[in-house]
Amino acid sequence: MFEFITPLFVSLILGGTLVGIIFGAIPGMTATMAVAISLPLTYSLGLENGLALLLGLYVGGISGGLVPAILLGIPGTPSSITTTFDGYPMAQRGEGEAALRIGIISSFVGGIISLAVLWLFAPTLADFAIKFSYVEKFLIILFALTVMAALSSDMLLGIFSGVLGIFVSLIGVYDVSDGGNGKLRLVPPGWEYWLDSGFSLLPVLIGLFGLAAILEQAELGVPRGHSAKDIKVGRHSAFSFSVFRGQAVNLVRSSAIGTFVGILPGVGGSAASIIAYTNAKTFSRHPERFGKGEPAGIIASESGNNGLTGGALVPLLSLGIPGDSTTALLIGAFTLQGVQVGPLFIGNNPGTWNAMIVAMLIANVAMLVMMYVAIRWFARVVTIPKHILFPVILMMCVIGAYTINYGIMFDVWTLAIFGLFGWLAVKLRLEIAPFIIGFILGPSAEIYFVKSLESFGDVTIFFTKSWIAVLLWALILGSVVLSVLLARKARRGEGS
Amino acid sequence: MGDLTHVTIAFETSHLVFPTLIAGVLVLLGLAILLRDRARIAASGAAWRQTFAAMDKPRFLGTIALTLVYFSAMVPVGDLWPNTGLGFLICSIPYVAGTGLLFMHDRSWRQAVPLAIVALAGPTFVWWLFTYPLFLTLP
Repeated sequence: MFEFITPLFVSLILGGTLVGIIFGAIPGMTATMAVAISLPLTYSLGLENGLALLLGLYVGGISGGLVPAILLGIPGTPSSITTTFDGYPMAQRGEGEAALRIGIISSFVGGIISLAVLWLFAPTLADFAIKFSYVEKFLIILFALTVMAALSSDMLLGIFSGVLGIFVSLIGVYDVSDGGNGKLRLVPPGWEYWLDSGFSLLPVLIGLFGLAAILEQAELGVPRGHSAKDIKVGRHSAFSFSVFRGQAVNLVRSSAIGTFVGILPGVGGSAASIIAYTNAKTFSRHPERFGKGEPAGIIASESGNNGLTGGALVPLLSLGIPGDSTTALLIGAFTLQGVQVGPLFIGNNPGTWNAMIVAMLIANVAMLVMMYVAIRWFARVVTIPKHILFPVILMMCVIGAYTINYGIMFDVWTLAIFGLFGWLAVKLRLEIAPFIIGFILGPSAEIYFVKSLESFGDVTIFFTKSWIAVLLWALILGSVVLSVLLARKARRGEGS
Repeated sequence: MGDLTHVTIAFETSHLVFPTLIAGVLVLLGLAILLRDRARIAASGAAWRQTFAAMDKPRFLGTIALTLVYFSAMVPVGDLWPNTGLGFLICSIPYVAGTGLLFMHDRSWRQAVPLAIVALAGPTFVWWLFTYPLFLTLP
C-alpha cells in the first residue's frame, strides 16, 4: 500500500521543501515559479516521485514567504502579505525570531488541517462527481469561472480573463480523440505547422509564472538584495509556546478559512490570508493591537495561507479543476505522465492518491522541522543576490519549455509570447489565475458543451438535466450576485 | 418554444461552434469593459507614458533583447554540432553572464567573479544533467 515510500521519494520531498522555502523566502520568487521551473524534472521521475518533489516545493514555497514578510516587511509570496502587518513590527522591536517561530508553527497547523480536509473530503466529492454527465461537468466549469470572477479584484475583468483563457485554449485542431472532427480553427495562415495542437500548456505556464515575473522585476530595476545587517532576527527574543494559549479558535478558524478558500477555484493564498486575518481581528478582544505586532495576526495569516495547500487540491483531484495557480501547474505533471485528473482519478489511482497524501504530510513536517531548527539560516536566504538567481531561473525556464514536449523550439517561443503577455496582462489589469484556469479547462468545456448539445439537441438541457444542474445554476447565480454585492461594497468603501 | 431552443450541430462544422460562442462572449465582455472603463481607457496614453517613464528601460528592454537573441541563436548554433546540445550550452553561458551583468547594481570584480562561475557552471551542469542522466537532447 505504501510501497512508493522509498529513499528517493522522501529525499525529493525534503529537497523540494527546502528549495520551496528558499524560493518563498526570496521576494519576487514564488512557490508557483518554483513548481513551474521544476516541472521538466518530473518527466524522468515518474508520477509519484515527481509529485513528491512538486508538493514539497508547494508547501515549502507557501511557508517560506513568511521569512521576508517578518524580517523585511516585504511579503516573499503574495499569500504572506498579511504576515507583514504584525510580523514586521515584532521584528522591529527585536522579536523577529519569536515572530518567525509563531509563523512556522501556524503554517504547520494550517497545512495539517487542510490535509485532513483533503483526505476526508476529496474522495467523497469525487464519488459524487462520478455521476455527473457532460451537462453537469460543463456547469461545474462555468461555476468555477464565475466563482473566480466573483472573487477577482474586478469581476468584469476577471470573467474576461477566464473567457480569454478558454478562447486561447481552443486554438488548433478540434481533437478527434475527444470526439472532434479534426479540423483546425483560430490559426493564422502560415502557423498551421506550429499551432496544430495549439499552445502547449507547460510553456504557457512557465512563461506566465517564470519569465513574466522576472520581466516585472527587470521593469522595477531588479530591486537590490538585502544585506545581512538589514535582517533583525532578534537574538534575545525568547519564543514560548504560551503565545498560542487562547489561540486555538483562531488557529482552527483561520486554517478552515484557508482550506475553504483553497477549495474555491482560482482564488489564491492572498485572499485566504486576508480573510483569515480580517476575521481574527474582528473576533479578537483586542483588535486595536492588530497591525502593531500582535502574534494573533501572524497566527491567522500563516495558518490561513497554508490552509490553502490541501484545500486547493480538493477540486483538482475530485473534479479536475485546479484550486489555485500552483495546483494548475500540478496538472502539468499529470499531463506529462499521461494521467488525467478528475472524478475517476482517486478510484483509478489509489497509489498516487496515497503518495500525494503522504508527500503532503512529510512536506509539512519537514517544513516545520527545517524552518524551526534552521530559521537563522533561512533568514539569510533573503540576501542571495538576484543578479545571480534570475539569469539561472531564466535558463531553467528555457530548459523547461524545450524539454517538456521532447524538444520543440516553438515551445520556447511560446514561453516568450506568454512571458510578455503575462507582463502586459498585469498592466491591463487582466487576472492571470482565471486566464490560466480558463486555458486549462477550455478544451474540456468545449467537449462537454458540444457533446451535450449533440446528444440532446436542445439548449434547455443545461437547465433541466437533473437537480444537480439546477443546483449548479443556483450556485452560478449566487456567485454572480455575490460579485455584484462585493463590487458595490468596494465602491461604497472608496466613496466614503 | 421547443423549436427556438432546438439545436442541431453538423459534424463538419462542429469545430466552430464553441469558438464562435466564446468569441461572441468575449466581444460582449469587451464592449461592457469599454463602456464601463471608457474614461480610464481614454486616459491610458498618459498611464502608459508614466509606466514607460518609471521603467528601468535598460534592464527591462535589455532582458527582452537578450532573451530574444538567446532564443534565436540557440538552434543555428546547435545545428553546427547536431544532437549534442551544444547550441544550448554555448548560448546559455553568455546569456546567463549578460543578464547577470544587466541585473547587477554595483559592477565590480568582487560581484562579477561569482557570476562568472555561475554562468559557466550552471549551464554546464544543466547540459550534462539533461544530455546524460536524463537523455533529453537540447538544441
